[in-house]
Amino acid sequence: MWETEGLQTLGIVVIVCASLKLLHLLGLISFSEDSVEDELELSAARHRPEALEQLEAQTRFSRKELQILYRGFKNECPSGVVNEDTFKEIYSQFFPQGDASTYAHFLFDAFDTDHNGSVSFEDFVMGLSILLRGTVQEKLNWAFNLYDINKDGYVTKEEMLDIIKSIYDMMGKCTYPTLKEETPRQHVEIFFQKMDKNRDGVVTIDEFIDCCQNDENIMKSMQLFENVI
Amino acid sequence: MAAGVAAWLPFARAAAIGWMPVASAPMPPPPREKRRGQDGLIILNVSGTRFQTWRNTLERYPDTLLGSTERDFFFHEETNEYFFDRDPDIFRHILNFYRTGKLHYPRHECISAYDEELAFFGIIPEIIGDCCYEEYKDRRRENTERIQDDEENENNKDLVLPELSFRESMWRAFENPHTSTMALVFYYVTGFFIAVSVMANVVETVPCSSGPNRAKEVSCGERYALAFFCLDTACVMIFTVEYLLRLIAAPSRYKFVKSVMSIIDVVAIMPYYIGLVMTDNEDVSGAFVTLRVFRVFRIFKFSRHSAGLRILGYTLKSCASELGFLLFSLTMAIIIFATVMFYAEKSSSASKFTSIPAAFWYTIVTMTTLGYGDMVPKTIMGKIFGSVCSLSGVLVIALPVPVIVSNFSRIYHQSQRAEKRRAQKKTRLARIRATKSGGANAYLQYKRNGMLADAEEEASKEAGKSLVCKINPTFETQHHHLLHCLEKTTNHEFVDEQTYETNCMEVSLTKPSMSRSSSLSSSPHGLSSCCTRRNKRKSFNVSNSNMVGGRRGSIQELSTIQITERPMSNSRSSLNAKFEETLPLNSEEQSYITAAVISMPTPPVTTPEGGDSASSPDFLQSNIVRVSAL
Repeated sequence: MWETEGLQTLGIVVIVCASLKLLHLLGLISFSEDSVEDELELSAARHRPEALEQLEAQTRFSRKELQILYRGFKNECPSGVVNEDTFKEIYSQFFPQGDASTYAHFLFDAFDTDHNGSVSFEDFVMGLSILLRGTVQEKLNWAFNLYDINKDGYVTKEEMLDIIKSIYDMMGKCTYPTLKEETPRQHVEIFFQKMDKNRDGVVTIDEFIDCCQNDENIMKSMQLFENVI
Repeated sequence: MAAGVAAWLPFARAAAIGWMPVASAPMPPPPREKRRGQDGLIILNVSGTRFQTWRNTLERYPDTLLGSTERDFFFHEETNEYFFDRDPDIFRHILNFYRTGKLHYPRHECISAYDEELAFFGIIPEIIGDCCYEEYKDRRRENTERIQDDEENENNKDLVLPELSFRESMWRAFENPHTSTMALVFYYVTGFFIAVSVMANVVETVPCSSGPNRAKEVSCGERYALAFFCLDTACVMIFTVEYLLRLIAAPSRYKFVKSVMSIIDVVAIMPYYIGLVMTDNEDVSGAFVTLRVFRVFRIFKFSRHSAGLRILGYTLKSCASELGFLLFSLTMAIIIFATVMFYAEKSSSASKFTSIPAAFWYTIVTMTTLGYGDMVPKTIMGKIFGSVCSLSGVLVIALPVPVIVSNFSRIYHQSQRAEKRRAQKKTRLARIRATKSGGANAYLQYKRNGMLADAEEEASKEAGKSLVCKINPTFETQHHHLLHCLEKTTNHEFVDEQTYETNCMEVSLTKPSMSRSSSLSSSPHGLSSCCTRRNKRKSFNVSNSNMVGGRRGSIQELSTIQITERPMSNSRSSLNAKFEETLPLNSEEQSYITAAVISMPTPPVTTPEGGDSASSPDFLQSNIVRVSAL
């Protein structure tokens, strides 16, 4: 009589609730909004640079120049260090038409000399010191370091291809003449033709420096950014 | 590009060395670096608060005041700083904009003050950062609405002057009953008749005691059918007349017909006419009865009389989505619970839950916590689900209600604010008028006490006032001198309002014989006092009245009087000279019309140097120049 009817209804309700719970356990549905774990936000690492005198000694910048550099650096990165994402973001702002993130990644690796994942002011200023005030040898050294992605002393075709592709990426789609698929590859071939003297498929630092020093254009362009600061 | 990122440009350029070895073509030459001078500190003194920043920081935005050479105008050599006489609190935000590239809007600042500062420093408000932009836009919108409201109200007030056609004035009377007595009377009469009509509808259904020989009770409506019919007719007459009048007076008939109030009006009077048209036909009498229900819509006509009702209606309209949601969720819950209750109660014998739609009634009554008790569950399961139903009903109904309430309160407060503004507007306008007239009076006072500091006989009478004049600040004296120059330029004079108004009245009321006396009497600071002033030129308020119709005789009178009393008046020299020469002045165009201190209408002031006699009356009448004071 009513027991059967009532028990039937009760049974149905129990089954429905149990299935909902099962689904919830399986993670297919979630009941409450805050079942997502709150991610612990790591506070940004703070970093204070070495004293001004030390930096003055280690780099070729004057005191005033260091002050200006630091002010700009700290303004953009109040925490004192640049991590890769911020670096990419900043660099991308200068190349709005294309995608500068890959090249920024290589640049970041080049600047991050101690490979700790962040560029501090010292790294920044050392790099700039080489680029702006260094000898041609040092500059070429730096460039080679940039191309050598795995930092093993040799620049292979693949590494070069990556670099060249990232440079072309910064151009974006709207170029004249339009970029074709094999343009980076051709560019790499030309480069290797020039640089790889012993045709072993890799370019070493000596081959690189030798070849660049014999090339007028490259030599001239190295002096281009002397007066940036 | 943000200012901060610009600091990284040298870095980006230096990193370009990485492209050099792989470059396909030679590089272009670098741009000429203009040495802009050392990057020094700039001191910005804003009303005493010193702000300092690098020159480069300011020059990031060269199209603003601080970033361009415009700031050199504010350079103060003695202290070697840039001085701005502005608000330092708001300047803080402006300087932060240069530093961080983001402009913020402080919430506690007045929006117009902030806008002014931005305009002064040449910063467009559109660059306010996203964090503050919403707030800024909201405040700005509120401000413009308020200003628009004020302007509208002012314009409405100014329309007091005629130029309204009969139709427009009728419409205004309908819309704003407090503007004229007739409108007020009409307003109250219609209100009364609405109330009477509604009461009649109600009373007519009350059972009146029937005679002893009648079997059943009859309602009052049937007993006094004729009386109620007459009453109904009268009310409908009034309503019809009102509707037609409104229809005639409406500026846009189409819009009026579409409006809600007009639909209510029509619905209120339609049943009567339909009832008239339809005879006692049995088929349609049922429909006729239904129509009588619509008579209750007359009560909605009260919304013209009550602002609160209108607000309520407006709130409901604006909360339409919340109400819709309430309805939808209730429907869902009703269906669910009705189904459950039906199946729970199916087993019990003699259960009232005969079908799911029958269970709807139970669910609604339970969810709204009414609980009539005509349907109750008998099984245990039914009771359990019934209690769940009533609990959830409370929750479901309680959810959208706060939204509706907050909407209502917002709209109500808005209307209250508008009312307060209207009330304060009167005092505000009075204050403005007082300052205006105060200024005008100050000038007239000043004139009376002698601009050239000649304290004559009357100085003794007005000794106190003259003292006041003497210790006027320089600004006042210069201002008065300026007004005096204006008077000289236009050959008109400033007078106060009363004199002007008396002139105006005299123009309409004066008679030729009276003109002289009235003219004489109408100038309070008139000829009697002017004789004592040699350089004073007193306001001849008289001329208006006299010149109507070109009464030469009175001109003569005036001139004679004038000549005898002020022979050496050197102001208005051209005119007065003529007076001295020729006594009967038929042709002198006298621009004695004195200017009162109100607004300037379009006909320009003409300083008649030598007009024709024929044109002089017209001249004078058109020369009612109203020069704005101050």
